[in-house]
Amino acid sequence: MKESTSFTRFIMNKLTRNLPATVVIALSLVLMVVLGAVGGMSQVLNTFVTGGMWALLAVGLALVFGVMNVPHFAHGESFMIGAYVAYWVFNPIYQTLGEHPNAFLEVVAPFIGFLAAAVVGFVVGVLLERIIFAPLRRRTKSGWVMNAFLLTVGVSFVLTNGFTLAIGPNFRGIPRYWNIDTLTILGANVSADRIVAFFLAMITIFALWLFLRQTRTGRAIRAVSQDETGAELVGINLDFVYVLTFGLATATAALAGASLLFMFQAYPTVGGKPLYFAWYVVMLAGLGNVAGAILGGFIVALLQTATQQFFGPSWEDVIPVAVMILVLIAVPSGIFGSEVKGVQEQ
Amino acid sequence: MLKIERLDASYGFLQILWGISLHVEEGEFVGLIGPNGAGKTTTLRSIAGLLPPKDGQILFKGQSIGGTPAYKVSRMGVSYVSEALNLFVDMSVRENLLLGAYSVRDKKRQLETLEFVYSLFPRLKERENQLAGTMSGGERKMLAIARGMMSNPQLMLVDEPSLGLAPHLVTDVFQSLQKLQQTGVTILLVEQRVNATLAITNRAYVLEHGRVAMEGPSSELMKNEHIKAAYLGV
Repeated sequence: MKESTSFTRFIMNKLTRNLPATVVIALSLVLMVVLGAVGGMSQVLNTFVTGGMWALLAVGLALVFGVMNVPHFAHGESFMIGAYVAYWVFNPIYQTLGEHPNAFLEVVAPFIGFLAAAVVGFVVGVLLERIIFAPLRRRTKSGWVMNAFLLTVGVSFVLTNGFTLAIGPNFRGIPRYWNIDTLTILGANVSADRIVAFFLAMITIFALWLFLRQTRTGRAIRAVSQDETGAELVGINLDFVYVLTFGLATATAALAGASLLFMFQAYPTVGGKPLYFAWYVVMLAGLGNVAGAILGGFIVALLQTATQQFFGPSWEDVIPVAVMILVLIAVPSGIFGSEVKGVQEQ
Repeated sequence: MLKIERLDASYGFLQILWGISLHVEEGEFVGLIGPNGAGKTTTLRSIAGLLPPKDGQILFKGQSIGGTPAYKVSRMGVSYVSEALNLFVDMSVRENLLLGAYSVRDKKRQLETLEFVYSLFPRLKERENQLAGTMSGGERKMLAIARGMMSNPQLMLVDEPSLGLAPHLVTDVFQSLQKLQQTGVTILLVEQRVNATLAITNRAYVLEHGRVAMEGPSSELMKNEHIKAAYLGV
């Protein structure tokens, strides 16, 4: 497996060259062991499921920031749209299944919901890019990061309030996707839904990684994130790359929202918490750093689960953010710090 | 192959080029020399599509390309090796070169060009897997020129390849440009090293204050009194 070795090599490179990252990862492993010993295996599994989800969301944020220089604060609304789409697609199928049982459809139905969410997410992303960022780009490039940030906040308000206006603030949820007994892994009970959510996140991230590393278009996306003028000079259409990047990021967030519908019911402001946690991850890992976002997702999830275990759930936000502040004071560019073109305004 | 007529170009209200006219024929090696701030780089940026011209015409193979976006100009067969190099610093030499061939869809042809480029710059072959950002200044120049060749361009615009290089490396770079011309590529070279440029080019234009001050075969310009006094220091 050439691809997976290049991934491990990449991580190893970062570790040997980067002391803060090594320290944080070592501490995380220790914390993981302690958490496992005190809270049991179920807490460790919780960490992985939550971590996979934060990682998936954070990768989208990192990609959008790295390529387009947009601090994306409407990412949570992509999550929200994914949750709604999955609900609207899955629920009718589920209802008809009650009348006409069909074993095959029962297994497949959730995946139809996921796919629909991802496709709708991609389309929404493409439209947002064309309607929101393309006109701004044509207008002026000065103050881009701040303007783009404000635009995404505006989009977030419009979408959450638009949904509330159109369909009301009601919660739309499902008890579970798959009506299967919980599995027991090393003494801990896990539902099939959680396992699927975790693997879906991992597979999506891995597929995205392969796409960015191994394909011509993926290489073009990375080229734009490193040098826009250079990319134009070799014949890359920047607009195409922006649209594709934003579409992909929105699709992955929508997929996350869809696969977690059993945990987060669909309602207009459901995206808030996922958004903030994804941002913790991205700030901790270093802006625009896709590989770092994956590890960062698990580290933030670990902090979160450990906080719940040792201090109680109400501290869930406080401790991870406090740790993040401390890390940023020590390493301002994040633990996998990469210099991103946009941090200092172009 | 390239024909520029009365080109005006400006950054905002600051006009840099005032009615530049020049032409480059197929297979020619043409120099564009002049002091700092004369508008040499601006001319290249206008041709490459990075700066839409204010007025005037840029024709490439008879087609008007003034104001065409850079990526389209690049796909038409014009390759611009910029002064800033614009390399992808977090990618390997090989990846940079393959990106240079972004508009070449034929995989086989990409690899053929890659081999050819490696034969011109054996140094790059040795460093194939090194990140572009970790290479020395001279190697980066080589990489930028090599990347510019990867799209099999018909016209190459090369901006100040000697800038910031040690003298013996300058000779290397100039020799590789000459080799490049021998393979049939048309080159428009912007340089401040007047002597060296006039020695390897067929024809040259002298740009002063955004206007073409002089033009002619390089061998004649070398004997010109104004050039001798202003640029060659003899």
